Formats: sequence, structure tokens, C-alpha cells
Amino acid sequence: MNDGYNVIGKSVGRIDGKVKVTGQAKYTGDLRFPGMLVGKILTSPYAHARILSIDTSEAEKLPGVKAVITHKDVPSLKYGISPARWDENIFCIEKVLFVGDKIAAVAAVDEETVYKALKLIKVEYEVLPAVLDPLKAMDEDTPWLHAEYPHNINTEIHQDFGNVEKAFAESFHVRTDRFVGQRAYQSPIEPHSAISMWDGDKLTVYSSTQSPHYFQYYIARQFGLPMGNVRVLKTYIGGGFGGKLEPTGLEFAGAALAKITGRPVRMFYDRHEMFAHNRGRHRQYMELKTGVDKDGKILGVYANFLMDGGAYTSLGVASAYYAGALLTIPYDFANYRFDMYRVYTNLPACGAQRGHGHPQPRFAFESHMDNIAHDLRLDPIELRLRNARKPGTITPNEFKVNSCALEAAVEKARAISNWDEKRNNLPKGRGIGIGLGAFVSGAGYPIYRTNLPHAAAIIKVNEDGSSATLYTGAVDIGQGSDTVLCQMAAEAMGYTFEKMTIVSADTEAAPHDFGAYASRQTLMSGAAVKQAGEDVKKQLLELAAPSLGINVAELDCRDEVIYVKKSPEQQRTFAEVAREFFVKKGPLVGKGSYTPPKLGGKFKGAAVGTSPAYSFAAQVTEVAVDPETGEVNVLEAWDVHDCGKVINPALLHAQVHGAFFMGMGESVWEEVLFDENGKILNANLSDYRVPTALDMPQFHSELVDSYEPNAPWGVKEVGEGATTPTMGSIANAIYHASGVRIKSLPISPEKIWRALKEQREE
Amino acid sequence: MYLPDFDYYAPPDLVEACQLVREFGNSAKILAGGTDLLHKMKHTELAPEAVISLKKLSELKGIRYLPGQGVIIGALTTQNELADSPLLHRKYRSVCEAAHNMANNQIRHIGTVGGNIVNAVPSADLPPILMVLGAKVKLVNIDGERTVPLDEFFLGVHQTIRRDDEILTEIEIPDQKTTGSTSIRFGLRKSGALAVAGAAVAVEMDGETCRSARIVLAAAAPVPMRARAAERLITGQQITPDLLEQAGAAAARESNPRDSIRGSAEYRRDLIRILTRRALHKAITEGHV
Repeated sequence: MNDGYNVIGKSVGRIDGKVKVTGQAKYTGDLRFPGMLVGKILTSPYAHARILSIDTSEAEKLPGVKAVITHKDVPSLKYGISPARWDENIFCIEKVLFVGDKIAAVAAVDEETVYKALKLIKVEYEVLPAVLDPLKAMDEDTPWLHAEYPHNINTEIHQDFGNVEKAFAESFHVRTDRFVGQRAYQSPIEPHSAISMWDGDKLTVYSSTQSPHYFQYYIARQFGLPMGNVRVLKTYIGGGFGGKLEPTGLEFAGAALAKITGRPVRMFYDRHEMFAHNRGRHRQYMELKTGVDKDGKILGVYANFLMDGGAYTSLGVASAYYAGALLTIPYDFANYRFDMYRVYTNLPACGAQRGHGHPQPRFAFESHMDNIAHDLRLDPIELRLRNARKPGTITPNEFKVNSCALEAAVEKARAISNWDEKRNNLPKGRGIGIGLGAFVSGAGYPIYRTNLPHAAAIIKVNEDGSSATLYTGAVDIGQGSDTVLCQMAAEAMGYTFEKMTIVSADTEAAPHDFGAYASRQTLMSGAAVKQAGEDVKKQLLELAAPSLGINVAELDCRDEVIYVKKSPEQQRTFAEVAREFFVKKGPLVGKGSYTPPKLGGKFKGAAVGTSPAYSFAAQVTEVAVDPETGEVNVLEAWDVHDCGKVINPALLHAQVHGAFFMGMGESVWEEVLFDENGKILNANLSDYRVPTALDMPQFHSELVDSYEPNAPWGVKEVGEGATTPTMGSIANAIYHASGVRIKSLPISPEKIWRALKEQREE
Repeated sequence: MYLPDFDYYAPPDLVEACQLVREFGNSAKILAGGTDLLHKMKHTELAPEAVISLKKLSELKGIRYLPGQGVIIGALTTQNELADSPLLHRKYRSVCEAAHNMANNQIRHIGTVGGNIVNAVPSADLPPILMVLGAKVKLVNIDGERTVPLDEFFLGVHQTIRRDDEILTEIEIPDQKTTGSTSIRFGLRKSGALAVAGAAVAVEMDGETCRSARIVLAAAAPVPMRARAAERLITGQQITPDLLEQAGAAAARESNPRDSIRGSAEYRRDLIRILTRRALHKAITEGHV
């Protein structure tokens, strides 16, 4: 198929592939600087306690220790990634709020000394009663974690669109179901780390981050520096999935230690500390009530949720809004009410994890839909098709959906999974289920209020035209954005991918971009890159036109050749014209920036869930369930995605594979567990069971044709959307295979075993 | 996490190793694969004064057959070497399968057979299959050696009859008349998950009649546990599906699993019933698998 593109739409190899597979790629934790110290943070052993005293004198005496700091040595300004609720301090001042809360930090000449020094810091605590059950957090007699937030209410949402009660009254069938999610953790393969160093008043931080910009913003704010005095950059990142979007504490503590010692300081979390720092998925309690007419058309939905936020806000305000906001995307209904409380507990703070707030509600809603289909004796796919969103529609909470090929995706998933045959004829113990999903292609508004563009890009063509460098603040965290954005740059310039290089995610060397979250970069960073590429091309064509004796409008450039559109044999090379440009006019530089159109309604929280474009997905899963042990074997899965124009098919399908893998882990295995004192029981990869390669089923990732008018070349997201349907799809397959509906995640073998036992005993 | 300070020894031969373990007694720990020891030291569960590595003792590696006696497995044989042994594949494939299904490839590549035994955890994968095959272990100290049935080796969690000055050097699977053996583990993931429950069995069949049977349960008690009531139930009997179900139920009754984050005692007990029945059926019908 010749779609008229030379670079995009092709599975070019990753720009960072070679250095990664050969081990040459240096991650933050691999970097070494002269005189560099190692730093670590001392954390609280109690879930809730008053700090009576901290004695660092013994630690300071240990040979090799260069600095020991507590709250007294750092600014006391509260921070947090959600500006609405700044509630964290660099180090705790009066109280600790969870096992793992930050007390002090040490910098020493090596790791061994740091660990020894941490043990020498004496902290006296008065242990306080801990709030560990989110369902009791708002009770009258429950202690408050933060005096500023009465009854532990961190976020409270009440949204009402249309008339839900009237819709229920007019419904043929109304059904209520209650579901519970679990605390899950992102488990990126690369632990968090940061290296901080000062040169006079200028701070440089190498960090394993999804967003240098937000780190720069908050570090500058914390230390009272102009943003220009803070440089945040990254090298390579081994995954983030939402957990590396906000400052981790390593940057603040490291910066303070580096300032005091005058030496670079490398800070890092080990696997246990990663779990304790958390910012993973919230546990949500989800009650859903839906009314349908006799054909199964949804008339109204009431979502009544509560989420366990842990000790701090993190990104939780957005998580809470997302939980309800995105329920309106895949299915079209007019009346919707959403109530949510996000409560504080003395557990690690929860934040954004792939699909941000949405995957658990999606699991609940997809399970709920299957229950409704069962009640109405409808095929689950039929019920979904009757309610599937159509393009060019507006949701009750005022999100405008332009492109939408959901119906086609469902039909294709049905066909390639052989659904109609399997649904009625699978042997006992086998089942097939479907779940739909959707997600934003970038958030319509940034995390803190600002009128900065969402993305910017610069392309500089080398003086002889033999290469070009893209400068972008977009962050490649492993998903491949460096590759995709270089493809986009080359396409827009009329250049070739192989001659592109990239400087990304460096607040000093590259222009501003908000970073890798909300599945935003292909669309938003891509829009800026496209503009920058077109700017380069325009300047070249303008220079070339007179030499070819033709009007600039008659020229184009592709694949490094500038040619006359009507007579392509009249041409000059890109390199030759680029060199001439430099000689006559100086550096050949293209610029671009992107700001989304104004989106959304005017009600409270209307911004969360807005996006220039929405992706859609239909996912079918086939499972086998052992009727005796409850063991689940995921046999095969089919994902059909509507993600607009695809820039790099191989990277796209890899994203879908990875998203399914994560969703599958949360469906059956993953859950962070705590003891009765709020201490994590499974802060390791042995007992926090992410799936292994052996657990991964045969997986089919397919696409439907789609073009998004609001996006460069019609692109949409894929990274997070593909996680959203998985838990529902697997839950429904397990129900079909076993005959028992498990309403809490993960759907562990023991839960299935117990439900089957109870069913037999009934 | 960081290893505490300790003195490190890597004796060149067994004699010197025995002298060192005598000298240090319980203030030293013996290092084989290190997959348990180093983990515990990093988590400050153990802080030995000295670590005595056996890595230079090549005589403790390898698997061989002594005619008229049995299969001899060196204690330092890795779990992957056990899984891949052509000799064991011919004689007791069940041992290879048990080794192959445990832990994950990285652990199996370095973890040893001896270590998996001496560590003495209830969920260990190799002791049950070795016990049902009547394995014996050789314990050596500077004064001499003794050979004891693996059946009598375990006393409790992390407790065995091995004295502080003894080194487990080899495991012997004696020649025998068993016609089939197998072990089935139930883990919460296909790789890299500790067994929630497990059952190993070995049977001597004579047509439809079971002449003798050994059943050992994993993660069912503080030590790998013989299910003697279940064994008695089928010994000398004509095997029927119903009898196997009864044997499973008997094993479940006599087991004593505990609640943990990997499974409730109630769930484990029922898994033991199911796994025992399935293992018996498999060993009876398929041989040493």
C-alpha cells in the first residue's frame, strides 16, 4: 500500500535499539562523576507516629559519612504533583504517615557506609493509631492524617449529568453490582534514581523520570531557584508506567546533600523502597447501577466510588476524576451521575498507573455489562454493539469524540477470535470474554495551571545537510517516542529516518514538553515536531525555488530530494540546498509548538478526561479455569485497536503486548499486601507476582482503519488504552469458563476455588 | 540492602572445608549456590561471622550411577544440571521434572541440590520427590561420614539433623522396584513462584495392585511430610479412581498447612487432596514422569 508516506507508517528499527541490546546504554544509576557520593533516605518503620526526636550524631561520626540531613536542613515548603493538594514535605517534620515515610538522608563515600550510617540514626517515635481500612477512614472516631483534611477526605466529587433517577424509573431493567480493585504497583524494571550536582547556584539533576519539566518546576519551587537554574535531564529509562512522573524525594534529598557536601550525590531506591514509595494503582470500591431499555440500550448510569489514596495526594486528585470521567467514553448514554471519595490512609500514597484511575472502573463496568447481558439473555458483544459510541458524538460530561471506530473494532475482534463459534461451544472449563476500552490521547490541560504550550520542538539541520537533530522535551521511557518522533520529523522535512539524531528530555538542551504521561506524546509532541519539520522544509523550498526557476508552491521534498511536483525529474538534493542555506542565511532551524484547543465543559472537574482525541479498543480473551484448584490459564487473546494513523507498527504492537501483559498481571496475580501494622508483606518480585514470559498467552494485536482530524497525520494514543479493556475481558472469560463471577481483583485461583466451593454447597 | 561484614573462605578440598566448619561451628554459614543464604544476609536475617564457600570442591559436582547401588548426585550439582541430566532422564525423569519446574532459570542455574535440601523450607521442591524415591544423604565431617535417609533429615523450618560441623556431600537414590514417581506443585505463576502446595509420590505397581507407595507433601507442614495414612490406604489395594480420591482426602486430613500470603490453610489443604490424587494417578499410569 502506498499511502504517500516515506517514513511514517513503517516499522523502522528503534533509534536506541543497538545501544540497549549491546549494553552500551547508560541508565541514571550507571553514571559516575568524579567525587560522587552515594545517598540514601531513612524511612519510617511505623504507619502512623509522632516524631519525638531524631539523633544523627552517631551516623555523622562514622568514617566516610559526608552529610546527614533531616527536615531541619531542607525547605519546609509543602509540595506535591497535584497543586490543589500540596501535602508532602521533603522530610517528615512532626509525624510519619506510612511505613516508608521519609525521615532523614545520608551521603557517604560508598553504599556500604551509607547503609551502616542509616542504622546509626536514632529516631524516637510515639506510635499513633493507624488508619489502614479505607472504608473506615471517614468514620467519626477515626483519627485524621492531615489536620487540613477533615475526616481523611482528600478528594470529594459529585457530578450529575442529565437525570439519572428519571432514566432508572423509565428503564426496563436496572442492575446494581459492587466491585473492588486492589493496590497494584507499576514495577518498572529500572529502579528510581537521581544524581544531583551543583555548580555555584546552578543545579543539575540526572533522573529516571517521565517528565523533566515537572521535576524542574517542583525542584526550582522547593529551593527558591529560577527554573533556568535547574537542569533536569535523563539518559535512558527502564519504564515508568506513571510511577516516575512526580518527584520521588530522591531529587530533593540529593540536591540538598549535594549542596552541603559540594559533591555530586547519587540517590536510588532498591526494589523494596520502590514498593514503599509506591504511587501505584489505587484500590477502588466501585458500585455501579445501570438502567437499560428492553433492547439493552443504556439509559442511565450511576457510579458510586471510593478510593484508598494512601498517605498523600500524589496524582490522586486526577486519578479520582479519571475513574468516573472516562466511563462515559466507550458507551453512549445520556444520563450519568458520579460520586467519589478519595480517602487518606496510613499506607503508601497511590498515584497514576497505566490507564490512570480508569482500568479498575473499566473492569467493573465490563463485568457489570456482562451481568446485564446475562440478565437480558443477550450475547455480550451484541449488548456492546447496541451501546458502542459513534464518531462525532459528545459524552454527557462534555467530551467531544471525533474519530471512533469502536464498532469496527468490536466486529473485528469478534471475527478474528472466532467468538460466535467459541462462545457457545467451548468445552467445560474453557471460556471466552470481551472487554472494551478507551483512553485519552494526551490530557487537555497540564497538571499545574500554566499557559505554556504542551509541546515544542526544534530541528537543526547539519551544515552540510548530511544529518539533522531533533530537540524535544518529550521523554522516551522505553515506549519508543525518540524513534517515532524522528520518523515524524523526517517525514515532515522530506528527509530520511536514518540521518536523524535526537536530543530529548533535557530541560537545558531541548525545548519544553510536559513529558510522558496521559499517552500524550505521539499526538502532542508529534504535532510540534511535524510543525518544526514543515518549517525546515518550507525554508529549504523557498531557497530552492529560484534556482529551479519555479514558484515555491510547485515544489515538494521527499526522501532527501527537492523536486518539481509536475516534473519530478527537475530536482536538487536536500543536502545541497541545506548547505547553500547555511552559507547564505546561517543555521537551518525549524521550530514548532503545540497547544490543544480549548476543551471540555464548565462544571467542577470538567478538565479531567478532556483530550483532542480518544483511542478505542476491543479485547477478547480465552481462558481455561481448573474447576478444582481455580487455576487460571490465559490461553489466547485478541486486541483490536483504533489508534488512528500508526507511525511505527512494530512499536505499536509492542505497546499493546506490554499493556495486555500488565493488565493480565493485575487481573489474576498482582496485589500489594500489608500486615496489620501497615507494613508491606510482598515488596519483592517473588511474592508480588508480575506475569512471566511463560504466563503470556498467544497474543494477536490488530488494527482498524481510523483517522483523527485533530492530530498530526491522524494519530491517536495506544500506550495506556490497551491496558484498559484487559481486566474486564479476562474477568468475563473467567466467568464464562467457571460460572462464578469474582467481583474483586485480582481474580486469584483461591477466590475462584472458594466461589466454586460455595456454589457447590448452595 | 547490603551484605554485612563477614570473613570469606573458599577451601580447596573437602578436608580443609571440614576443618573450617569444625573450627567455626554455628558462627559460619556454608555457601553453595547462595540463592537463599545471600538473600537472607542482605535482609539481615543472618549475619554469620564467616562464609565458607564450597565452590572449589569439584568432587561434589556431577551425577553418576553405581551399579548395584544407585544414582549418586553430588550436592553441588545445580538444579539445572539435575533437570538436564541424561542419566536421570532415563532412570527417574520425575526428578528432572521437579528440578525443571522449580524457581526460575536464573535461580536453577546457580542454586544447588544440596542447598535446596539443607535450607529446609516446607515449600522446597526437591526433597519431596527425592524422599519418595527413598533417597539418602551423606554427611561428612572431619572425623568421618554418615548416611541417613532423607526421610529423617528434616526437623523443622530451617532445622535438620545436620550438625554444624557437617557438610552434605551427596544424595543417593538407591536402586528400587518402584514403577512410577512424580511430583506436582501448585504455584501462583508458571515460573518463579514458591509452591503453595505440592505432592510427590512413588508407587510400585503390580498390575492394578499397588504393592507399595510413598507420598510426601510440600508446604503442608513445617517439614516435607510423609502422608502415611494415605500411603496405607492404597498399599496392597486394587487401584480405583475412588480409592485415589480417598487417598487424596486422607493426605489432606493428615496435612497441617498454615495460612500465608500465598494461600489460606483451608485452600492448601484442598490443594493437597487434589494434587495427591492427581500425582498418584500420574505415577501409576505414566511411570517415572
